[in-house]
Amino acid sequence: MYKLFLCLRYLRSRVIAYFAILAVALCVAMMLIVVSVMDGFLAKVERAAKGLFGDIVVESTSTEGLGLYDEFIAKAARDVPEVEAASPFILVPCYLRIPENNWNQIVQAAGIRLPQRAEVTDFEKGLFVQTGWAKPTFDPPISEIQSRLDGQIKFIEELRGKSLRPPKPEDQGYGTAERLDNALLAHYGARSLLKRAKDHQAAIAEAHAQLQATYGESRGEPTERTEALEKRLEELTATAGWLDPSRHIILGLGIRGLSFRTEEGKTVRFLCPGSKVSLSLIPLGSGLGATPSLNSKTFTVVDDCQTDVSSIDSEIVYVPFETLQQLNNMATAYSADKPDEVVVPARCNQVHIKVRGQTDERSLEAVRAGVERTWQAFHAAHPEAAGNVSVLTWRQRQAAIVGPIEKQRTLTVIMFGIISLVAVVLIFVIFYMIVFQKTKDIGVLKAIGAGSLGVAQIFLAYGAAIGLVGSILGTIGGYYFVRYINPIQDVVDRWFGFRVWDREFFMFEKIPNEVEVVPVLMIVAGAIVAGLLGAMIPAARAARMQPVEALRYE
Amino acid sequence: MSEPLVTVQGLHKSYRMGKVDLRVLRGVSFHLSAGSFTAVVGASGSGKSTLLHLIGLLDKPDRGQVVLSGQDVTALPARRRDGMRCRDVGFVFQFYHLLGELNVLENVLLPAKVACSTLAWPGRRAEARRRAMETLDRLGLSDRLRHRPKELSGGERQRVAIARALMNRPRILLADEPTGNLDSASGKGIMELLKQCNRRDGQTILMVTHDVSLAEQTDRILHLRDGRCNEL
Repeated sequence: MYKLFLCLRYLRSRVIAYFAILAVALCVAMMLIVVSVMDGFLAKVERAAKGLFGDIVVESTSTEGLGLYDEFIAKAARDVPEVEAASPFILVPCYLRIPENNWNQIVQAAGIRLPQRAEVTDFEKGLFVQTGWAKPTFDPPISEIQSRLDGQIKFIEELRGKSLRPPKPEDQGYGTAERLDNALLAHYGARSLLKRAKDHQAAIAEAHAQLQATYGESRGEPTERTEALEKRLEELTATAGWLDPSRHIILGLGIRGLSFRTEEGKTVRFLCPGSKVSLSLIPLGSGLGATPSLNSKTFTVVDDCQTDVSSIDSEIVYVPFETLQQLNNMATAYSADKPDEVVVPARCNQVHIKVRGQTDERSLEAVRAGVERTWQAFHAAHPEAAGNVSVLTWRQRQAAIVGPIEKQRTLTVIMFGIISLVAVVLIFVIFYMIVFQKTKDIGVLKAIGAGSLGVAQIFLAYGAAIGLVGSILGTIGGYYFVRYINPIQDVVDRWFGFRVWDREFFMFEKIPNEVEVVPVLMIVAGAIVAGLLGAMIPAARAARMQPVEALRYE
Repeated sequence: MSEPLVTVQGLHKSYRMGKVDLRVLRGVSFHLSAGSFTAVVGASGSGKSTLLHLIGLLDKPDRGQVVLSGQDVTALPARRRDGMRCRDVGFVFQFYHLLGELNVLENVLLPAKVACSTLAWPGRRAEARRRAMETLDRLGLSDRLRHRPKELSGGERQRVAIARALMNRPRILLADEPTGNLDSASGKGIMELLKQCNRRDGQTILMVTHDVSLAEQTDRILHLRDGRCNEL
């Protein structure tokens, strides 16, 4: 009983113990921050990889791609019960341009099918107009776009009313106010574009209905009336400036020059839904050939997408799968002599598969093996589908990125763990001093019957208590630091002009700020062990102390 | 004649001082009967405290025996010696040796806590507390329960030390110069207290002192000289 009693009493009354507690708390907080940020970073990389590829990727290793993908998807869904959904995917480098002002940028165009894409990944979660829609589309209602745009205009107008940062030298004259003014102009322009499109939408629908009715009357035969209506429909579409859904595009919200972030971390667009962009690419689907030509197409922006992965949001634009297939010369090729004979089937680069239920690494690997077997069987029956194909889990596909980050995380944790040994040394020194100071107390305790083990246990419990109290304080401090790490960084940036987290470099918009329970428990346990280790030698010295000598100690 | 409570037989003890062996005790032998109040006198450095430490199981002799209640305690393993020291022996030191972090009541309760396991303590706490309060009351310290040692006078501190020594109702109370650090009035009070404990409760006391006037107030005086003990 006396051990616990004295341990708690020493903990309360020895001021020097507070320094040991402070050292432990600082080390725990440091470890917690490092582990949480590194784990969060790793988790984000993994989530990003999964968000882009689904759980399993079937990928052609040649530029010609993977044919008969719909048949393969149907077979995989039949043969592998764990396959929940699958979607073909094309990714090609291209040249994005805004025709109005000659802005241009090299990006990656992703050909996706909507809404299937949302069944395979979390694509819909990051959309601006269709955020959270179960079935996102490349043709959202214009009214929805208008409503979101009006919300943005209101938001920017509110921001514009606030006191804003003046331009810094690196801004080249463009402070936040000037940027917001430009963004507002772009939003007003987009609003009038959308209004025009909406106004003509009814007329287009009416003309389309009239055309159908006229064709009905003429039993499908073209007449003067149908020709006139067709011409009018064409004119209306051109005037509306609203292209058909096969030429709609969803931009990544992070492409340089198309948006900016305010000091509060809010994103403001310069290019809004309703605007036009053009995509140009060298089609790789049929090989480069002797003189590569450029395929171009104009698109209407209907939405934008934010995944929180800077490297994806700043580089990828999404267009309808079949459109990109045509642009990249991956559509079905027919024989010149026999127009019905398929020479090369339509192709994609990858098929992304979503796996049902548990997706831990082991079960995912089992499903991957099943999909690979299905592919081999499919390929045996359809050798024209593709040449070389790899079937990989998302982790295997991203091993080149995830692996080094995992190693970096381990190395960082080890390095900070070594630094945290300072706490052990500090506890050792402090305890050595305490044992010296308490020499007479130890003699008294032994004189009244306390055994050597009991005396050692007092100091060990004291060390463990310092570890526990320090780790609780460190956990609370570390937790709140991690939780508010982004606002803290903003304050540091504002006051000292020093930014630790560069979103361009680290791929993500924000510093990860989630704290997981398991690492916290491990760190707390480590701190208690550190306290015990630090107290061990002084405790052994106290235990070995001869009571007669201790009582005589001056 | 009843069996003696303590039998000291041919006790030898030496200390190494640099390269020289200092032979402090050279065959000390005597008996202490239960309920006796015995003083050990001798010059400074004559080995009085060493003798007390050997009887109180704080140290081991080089040779000889200490028999407590019929049991030779010199050969006992450390764990049993700890137990006997806790239950059967009470120490009073010249410099009180109270724990500065604890108040008066906590200091007095400490031997009871040492004697009791953590699990058993809740069941025994009330009784231990009652006994501690009773002892402190008897020693005139009932109004000082929450005071820290540094807030007490020398005499009060020594009374707390006596209360602590009596807490586990030891068979023998070993007092090492209990008045050596006190003024004469306080020293007299402490001596009266020890006599009272001996006469009223039958507490066996072995007191080491260099003050002959104090020794004369006891039942028996042992004189330690040249490492040997003689009765005066």
